[in-house]
Amino acid sequence: MRRALRAEWTKLWTVPSTGWLLPAVVLLTVGAGAAAMAAVDVSQCPSPAECFEDTTRLSLDGVRLGQAAVAVLAVLVITGEYGTGLMGLTLAAFPRRVPVLLAKAGVLAAAVAVAGTVAVLGSLAAGRGILPAGGFTAANGYPGLSLADGPTLRAAVGTVLYLVLVALLALGVGAVVRDTAAALTLVLSLLYLAPVLASLMGDQRWRERIEEFSPMPAGLAIQSTRGLDRLPIAPWPGLGVLLAYSAAALLLGTLLLARRDA
Amino acid sequence: MSGERPGAGAGAGADGGAAPVVSAGAGADRGADAATGAGVVPYRSNFADGTPGFGGLLRAEWTKFRSVPRWVLTLLAAVVLTVLIALITANGSERAVAGGGEDPADSGASADFRIRDGGHFLYQPLPGDGELVARVTELTGTQDWAKAGLMIRAGDEAGGTYAALVATPGHGVRLQTGFTQVAGERAEAAVPRWLRLTREGRTVTGYESADGENWSRVGSVDLTGLPATAQAGLFVASPDEVHVDRQFGGESISQEPTEAEATFDGVTLRPESGAAAGEWQDRARSLAAGGSATRLGPDAFTLRGAGDIGLDPGFADDSARNLLEGALAGLVAVVALAVLFLGSEYRRGMIRLTFAATPGRGRVLAAKATVLGAVAGAAGAVAAAAAVLLAGPMLDGAGRVSLTEGPVLRAVLGTGLLLGLVAVLALGVTALVRHSAAAIALVLLPLLVPRLLAGGLPLNAAEWLQRLTPAAGFAIQQTVRRYDTAIGPWAGLAVLAGYTAVVLAAAYARMRRRDA
Repeated sequence: MRRALRAEWTKLWTVPSTGWLLPAVVLLTVGAGAAAMAAVDVSQCPSPAECFEDTTRLSLDGVRLGQAAVAVLAVLVITGEYGTGLMGLTLAAFPRRVPVLLAKAGVLAAAVAVAGTVAVLGSLAAGRGILPAGGFTAANGYPGLSLADGPTLRAAVGTVLYLVLVALLALGVGAVVRDTAAALTLVLSLLYLAPVLASLMGDQRWRERIEEFSPMPAGLAIQSTRGLDRLPIAPWPGLGVLLAYSAAALLLGTLLLARRDA
Repeated sequence: MSGERPGAGAGAGADGGAAPVVSAGAGADRGADAATGAGVVPYRSNFADGTPGFGGLLRAEWTKFRSVPRWVLTLLAAVVLTVLIALITANGSERAVAGGGEDPADSGASADFRIRDGGHFLYQPLPGDGELVARVTELTGTQDWAKAGLMIRAGDEAGGTYAALVATPGHGVRLQTGFTQVAGERAEAAVPRWLRLTREGRTVTGYESADGENWSRVGSVDLTGLPATAQAGLFVASPDEVHVDRQFGGESISQEPTEAEATFDGVTLRPESGAAAGEWQDRARSLAAGGSATRLGPDAFTLRGAGDIGLDPGFADDSARNLLEGALAGLVAVVALAVLFLGSEYRRGMIRLTFAATPGRGRVLAAKATVLGAVAGAAGAVAAAAAVLLAGPMLDGAGRVSLTEGPVLRAVLGTGLLLGLVAVLALGVTALVRHSAAAIALVLLPLLVPRLLAGGLPLNAAEWLQRLTPAAGFAIQQTVRRYDTAIGPWAGLAVLAGYTAVVLAAAYARMRRRDA
């Protein structure tokens, strides 16, 4: 297993796309979050206190964009090997197939966790700088973002976990589909199409049902720090929904990898 | 056939085997040149000029597309999925309309969201032709678009045919009819003002005057379906006040009914037949919404009314657009297809064969773009038309959409254009980056993410996001102008077309300079 991990580690770091994609996770997350925060200020609300803005969630909003880079990275980890035929060599070196996928999952999770932590800390730091300028100050009822605050810590840790789970979901889909274009299209549709379709539902119950059971809206519930009773699904169960998707995709991918001809 | 090939092969082999598909005569010439070393006669193929015309190129690309069963199936699945989502959406919105109808605030409006038929109407029957004259002496209301004036309409029921000549505090005197049209307006006129509305057959004409003697014509309308005995009388309306607030990380929009009060005098109804005046009566459905009329004298009245008449622009439910949103699923599939269409040629080395057959990079790119754009566009238009035809009749009342309406037809054909443009955009991006994962992410994200982020941003920022990104192209699907409309339909499509043109030009430049 250690050799498998080492081999996957080498493969991940020597592919040029990784050098692009991990910084892209950080830049997209922090950049989109900063843009979202800069677009909002208390003057748009009836009164500053009545914005009820979830400043933690707002500062971490960029993850919606950053996760795309994570999905690309994770899909490429496996479909890239199939595309170039490297997979045959990998399996010749490690004939036991399950550890190969586990090693890929482990290395990928570690890399995404590091990039995700940097992205989250960067977003929170940007929030501390940008939000007070928009009137979200302690005096108006929006205390500064701080990891010492329980819900904010949960949101920060949860967002990193969210990115890791998205990576595992994409890895699983990649192992099932084996084609870069098809796998990435599937993952991005699963993430981005569900919330858009939910907004089309005229019926409130159906809208909430979709948000409860689709990976992105449910998983991002972990970012909420206020108005928790208004959420379709609570923070940790929401992340659990995403975990179920990731586990199912990885399980199916492992089964197919073990039984199918490479 | 089987008899010829060995013969040709043997001939080539005898001449040195350099060119297996050369005819025996040409091979003999070359052999002789090589042997003597005398003046070289350049080789000329016996085949016709190998470069096919653009038509042949299109046919080649079309064959490449249709001969991959997975791609054709994906395209069909995209069409089916689009229609399916439309059916689900139509089903869901039916329930929402039924629920909205019970809301007391809506009782002044008809059961659907698209039109408003509120306000208060005090009327009596007008048998045949005739005229109605009155002076609006006072109009108080908080809204610029409060209305007080005269109306002739088919009957009491909601959404019926009408013509109304109204004075407004902020927009002069206007004659309006139906739920989308203004037949004429005189912006400078102000209250107090004399108004006169005449009916001759199907034509209703409005006049206004400052003194009741010198009349100027405001406009006239042709009302088909106006019965022989119409209802004519006084009308007061006041549109709802709209608040857009930011709360809970999103926009909350609230509508509050407002009231207007108007005083009329000199009210005279003169039927041409000279029939005796009937009894004034209140419109029953507006009494429930707080409308009232008080008689001040033999020909003077005060009316109070809430709600507006006409198209509800702010909150009109764009039901056609909602039906067509399923095209997003089709769009994702089309992007994947477009990326594979070029990307798989690069990956399998097929592109070298393609360029060997047609060295002109621009011609190949143009042929690919034409075929792909046409296929995706046709699929999009078919899917959109099927969605409207199948799901449209499931919607309620005036929310029902039909292909014969201009804006709906534009949205349906526009969906085809949208998908065609996006396919060409994806093709161009693939030619630029030559990496399928990067291409898919680069095309899909700018299309999908603005819609997601828009929900959490203030209206202003969200509008700019939907104007400047390729997602502006979705504007072609709108059929109603709403409070949150960011860009017009054709302007939005033009933004997407602009992105596509720039990317295609860059792809062409890159393709020419780079090795395949």
